[in-house]
Amino acid sequence: MALLEVRNITKTYGSETVLNNISFDLEKFETLSILGSSGSGKTTLLRCLNYLEIPDDGEIILDNEVYFSKDKVSTYDEDTIRQKRLHFGMVFQQFNLFPQYTALENVQLALKLVKKEKDTQDKAIELLKKMGLENRMDHYPHQLSGGQQQRVAIARALALEPDILCFDEPTSALDPELTSEVLKVIKELANSKTTMIIVTHEINFAKEVSDKILFMDNAEQLDFGSVQEVLINPRNQRIEEFLNSNKSE
Amino acid sequence: MFTSVTLALWQGFLVTIKLFALTLLFSLPLGLPIAIGAMSNNKIIKLPLQFLIWVIRGTPLMLQLLVIYYGPGIFFGINIWGTGENGRFIASLVAFVVNYACYFAEIYRGGIQSIPVGQFEAGKVLGMTSFQIMKDIVLLQVIKKIIPPISNEVITLVKDTSLARVIAVYEIIWSGQAFIKSNGIIWPLFYTGAFYLLFSFLLTVGFAKMEKKLSYFR
Repeated sequence: MALLEVRNITKTYGSETVLNNISFDLEKFETLSILGSSGSGKTTLLRCLNYLEIPDDGEIILDNEVYFSKDKVSTYDEDTIRQKRLHFGMVFQQFNLFPQYTALENVQLALKLVKKEKDTQDKAIELLKKMGLENRMDHYPHQLSGGQQQRVAIARALALEPDILCFDEPTSALDPELTSEVLKVIKELANSKTTMIIVTHEINFAKEVSDKILFMDNAEQLDFGSVQEVLINPRNQRIEEFLNSNKSE
Repeated sequence: MFTSVTLALWQGFLVTIKLFALTLLFSLPLGLPIAIGAMSNNKIIKLPLQFLIWVIRGTPLMLQLLVIYYGPGIFFGINIWGTGENGRFIASLVAFVVNYACYFAEIYRGGIQSIPVGQFEAGKVLGMTSFQIMKDIVLLQVIKKIIPPISNEVITLVKDTSLARVIAVYEIIWSGQAFIKSNGIIWPLFYTGAFYLLFSFLLTVGFAKMEKKLSYFR
């Protein structure tokens, strides 16, 4: 059984369908990239996994347990949703670090408040070192570059040891040179047995780092499968056209 | 003469400070439930509070003082404030607290709504409760944002206390004006300005210190 099974997720805002019948699954330690043009629903799908949006239909199974189902969601109270969310980590496009806390305190905060751990410092230091930020631990977010901020945000998400770490366009707010330092960290995570879902526009990066690809267009799922099936020898004609048009640019 | 004038003005100034301090003591906390209620999704809570804020901000404080002091007697035939000096002071305090709570409520609302939604979402995905998000993430950011507008209101309040004179609260302007009748001199009235200036100077310094203390983050 796969670690994560997403079945027929549908989401509408009023009369507009933003996700139409999306299904995919993910094994432990695999990396899935979600590709597609802007406005295709990629980010909304990721937000559904983190309970930042509630789907209108479908089912999500995590580790053989119901994580989301349309019929049960209305019975979940805030505490239940909070517990469920902890299975997923989230790294945002805009980092969303807490400005009044140092890099170290950003990583420690949820360990203290949510996990009620007393000794959080060693763990936070270790994570920031892993992100190459040993000299930036006492800096406040506004004193850090975008790439450094995003790496703090990754450390903050890793601190809670989620089953699956989600990235929502992690490099879209960064300059090209800062992009590479963040992508490098994500690649290291992929190589060190982290289960990840990455929403991205970086197709070459997705090819390199992913085990599976979900390709979306206009709220629809164009294809889901291995990198080989979806991107290298595309079996879907529209994806092939998309990739060719991107190449010529 | 100068000493006796100073002492007389000081008596009035004590009333001014008392009205100022008690108004802040009650209106600063009272503004918060008004702000939260005015942002509520429940119309039964939201609409009356928005109406209250509109009326209070849309009419002169001097008129509110008169209505609160004379209103109960005129409309209901009961003078709940009594006739003494103490009753007039309490009536003016109530008027000031309601008025300033509404202004503070609008400042709080603006402060809370100016926090990027990403801050709330970052707290949520880290598994924090709504209360933890408010207390450990949002609160300090809101305080930093609202210190400048709050300091504006507080300094305005120093001077607004002189309006209490309209229902015969013996504050500093009145104590200065009294010398015109009793001694035929007008300079004590102008002298009251020095008290206001000194007091607002101290407040300005205090608020600047607070702003500086929170300048370590953006």
